[in-house]
Amino acid sequence: MAAPAINPIEQFAITPIVSATIAGKDFSFTNSALYMLIAVGLACALMMIGARGGDGIPGRLQSLAEMAYEFVAGMVRSAAGEHGMRFFPMVFCLFLFILLSNLVGLIPHAFTVTSHIIVTVSLALLVFFTVVIVGIKENGLHFFKLFVPSGVPIYILPLVVLIEIISFLSRPLSHSVRLFANMLAGHITLNVFGGFVVMLLGAAGAIKVLAVLPLAMTIGLDALELLVAFLQAYVFTMLTCMYLNDALHPGH
Amino acid sequence: MARDDDDEALRARLDNLSGALKAQRQKPGATPPQGGGEESRDGFGSAMSLGLRAASEFAAAIVVGGLLGWQLDRWLGTKPAFLIAFFLIGVVAGVWNVIRVTSPLSRARTPVKDVPNNELPKAPAGDDEDGD
Repeated sequence: MAAPAINPIEQFAITPIVSATIAGKDFSFTNSALYMLIAVGLACALMMIGARGGDGIPGRLQSLAEMAYEFVAGMVRSAAGEHGMRFFPMVFCLFLFILLSNLVGLIPHAFTVTSHIIVTVSLALLVFFTVVIVGIKENGLHFFKLFVPSGVPIYILPLVVLIEIISFLSRPLSHSVRLFANMLAGHITLNVFGGFVVMLLGAAGAIKVLAVLPLAMTIGLDALELLVAFLQAYVFTMLTCMYLNDALHPGH
Repeated sequence: MARDDDDEALRARLDNLSGALKAQRQKPGATPPQGGGEESRDGFGSAMSLGLRAASEFAAAIVVGGLLGWQLDRWLGTKPAFLIAFFLIGVVAGVWNVIRVTSPLSRARTPVKDVPNNELPKAPAGDDEDGD
């Protein structure tokens, strides 16, 4: 009976909460914007409450905030060196935003901001242009040594440079698609298996018992999604650090 | 130049703030809290992330190569020539990406924790440049 109502894509629909049109463009406040605000608000709350210090005994929130700081700071230092710590604010913001969006999205009926490629592409392009601009500003033309590996014979150098350029240009794509595809696929899978439970419960008689199987699968997948949510935030941040390292120390 | 000044100031500030903390951490046996959680997640998690990374980097390079060739063809009116050439170069770049992602396994996998970070920047940077 409930079968036709289940549409695994429906969860990604963007619906305006407050409609607004400015100069012919749609500036509505959507559910996507709402959940971005929630993620940002959670990040702010975590850091502000966590950093308050108070009575000297670190509370749970404070140690959570410190863990997040230590984790990202370690990542930046190991991938981009001490110089890279100048980018720590940006990297930390990216990490918290992605992680919290992913985690908030796991709550049933919540909207997952990072399952929309426009969001992940914006984040990836932000990193990409930061790398290019900072790289050129810091190193001038030396930045383009990134495309010229040393020790390559001159006659295949043009080809290698071309390959390096394509490889460089493919970064924002793989950077964004990875996060987007993981969140999208994970949520669709969860929804499909959740849908099986409903469909089997709607079936006649003893078949209802079988609903336990997809339910178990859903629980397992939920745990996996929790891992993926964290992992993708980690991978995105890690790659950001590695790309920033290229901006600071292009080919020697 | 501005960068050196900034870094100097930043480093001085950081040292100031975290000098005692660092000393504490350098003591053997004082570190487990931050290491422990990482390691347990390491096996399955990092294997999965590595696999996904390799796959997406491979695909992304091909797509970018193909798009570049397609666009060049549109500009120059040489219908399939550049598309074919750049698609193939994209495949090469994809394979190169995968090699790069998978070969420095040790570097990608261990977020360096307890190494004193004075000389640290140089080492990974050098590694990376070889890979690139």
